[in-house]
Amino acid sequence: MPPRDGFTVAHFLTVTDVDRSARFYERVFGGRILTRGNNIGAPAFIQLANTWLILYFGGGPTPDKPAVTLGVPDPDVVSSFMNIRVADIQACYELWRSRGAEFLTEPVDKPGETCCYIRDPDGHLIEVGQSKPGVAYG
Amino acid sequence: MSEVHVAQKTYKMPPVEGITIAHFLTVTDVERSLQFYAKVFGGRILSKGDSDGAPGYLQIANTWLIVNVGGGPTPDKPTVTLSVPPDPNKVSSFMNVRVADIQACYAEWRKHGAEFITEPKPKYGETRCYIRDPDGYIIEVGQSNPDITYG
Repeated sequence: MPPRDGFTVAHFLTVTDVDRSARFYERVFGGRILTRGNNIGAPAFIQLANTWLILYFGGGPTPDKPAVTLGVPDPDVVSSFMNIRVADIQACYELWRSRGAEFLTEPVDKPGETCCYIRDPDGHLIEVGQSKPGVAYG
Repeated sequence: MSEVHVAQKTYKMPPVEGITIAHFLTVTDVERSLQFYAKVFGGRILSKGDSDGAPGYLQIANTWLIVNVGGGPTPDKPTVTLSVPPDPNKVSSFMNVRVADIQACYAEWRKHGAEFITEPKPKYGETRCYIRDPDGYIIEVGQSNPDITYG
């Protein structure tokens, strides 16, 4: 990151306080803060497992998206979210709680997976899920 | 087993140790969205999902997209409703595709059917533009200026 060829997929989050969010993703998940950004347009970059988080404030339309406003989320009406697939959900639930993550519930058993959700400091939903043994993709 | 390699490490889906991060999208039509991401970005469809609730899975570059239809609260998120973007012009998070050659991506992905909001425009430290996916999600496409490094 940035890629030298092809492309690399990251996840952008609109946040209220870039530093607070960067520290949250560092402390809870062990993300590596690559840059803290600044107030004149540079976002923070955090490397986290196989992806990167890009964090910045909201704001009104820009020339490259003339109708779009970026803002922090409505926490209870959600369209897209970061989905963390884990090998051991009980271990992650306990470790991440001990580091200050707020879970909506304990891990819940569902068809095909066991699942729970974290709220980040701005209310962004984060899914934490462990697939049942025998589930494979591809 | 589906896997990607990032910074000398291997990430599997589902992971056999540690964590692997994916991006979930609530969509109107699982098949339509899978076809869009496969066609435009060359993603690899791993699972088409089913009407019993299994989501579609697609591997794309270093990550995975998980797509499913929306719905009301579930026991593990008792107050949350999942829906396609209620207002495509009010956005709080999005997939951000960082590219090595934005003009090439702009031309190729348009050819594959991507609808860009504008052509690439120079912004602070980068050149970027946005795609709308079939449900109205914005996807940022950005190329950092040559002198920019992270970490």
